[in-house]
Amino acid sequence: MEEMSGFPKELVSRILHLHFRDCKTKVSGDALQLMAEFLKIFVVAAVRGVQQAQAEDLDTVDVDQLEKVLPQLLLDF
Amino acid sequence: MEETEAEEERQFSHRQRLKAAVHYTVSSLCNEVALDKQVQFNKQTVAAIAEVTFRQCENFAKDLEMFARHAKRSTVTTEDVKLLARRSNSLLKYITEKNEEIAQLNLERKAKRKRKPEDESSEPAAEVVDTET
Repeated sequence: MEEMSGFPKELVSRILHLHFRDCKTKVSGDALQLMAEFLKIFVVAAVRGVQQAQAEDLDTVDVDQLEKVLPQLLLDF
Repeated sequence: MEETEAEEERQFSHRQRLKAAVHYTVSSLCNEVALDKQVQFNKQTVAAIAEVTFRQCENFAKDLEMFARHAKRSTVTTEDVKLLARRSNSLLKYITEKNEEIAQLNLERKAKRKRKPEDESSEPAAEVVDTET
């Protein structure tokens, strides 16, 4: 998992600040790094779920699989 | 009136740029899984995952802000992030472990930075010691 690409800290920071209601809210450096990991695992869970939901031997995975996986994914997160 | 419209446009394009950046990262992750498992993800699926991720970030951000405020802090910390991961045991475990890894890594980096100035003053300049012959 270490070799996988991930979310840059700067991006995570900007996304979070986009949705903060209070302009005084800040995020610690460690929390940013941890959030980057959190988002990465969210995406990987979605991707793996979609790929596993693929019952047949299809080479391409499409949106139908994502629809099957989405409810549980959102419940888990 | 024009100012608010310009401001709205600026905010909209800022949002679009962030979405695009998320899409790029999601796309990279999808490619890595695709290579590993020898499957392919079509563009709509990648875009859909990116969209879901971006939207969930709104919930995550608001929750984090609430957690920090609840603890009477204005800075979001790793404790708040861990609280975000509470819904699934395996997720919480993973995040807790990652947190420890990150803390350990940062400690090591700090220790290296503190040692460096001492090393440079005690060793003479550019004497290459050949350890492999």
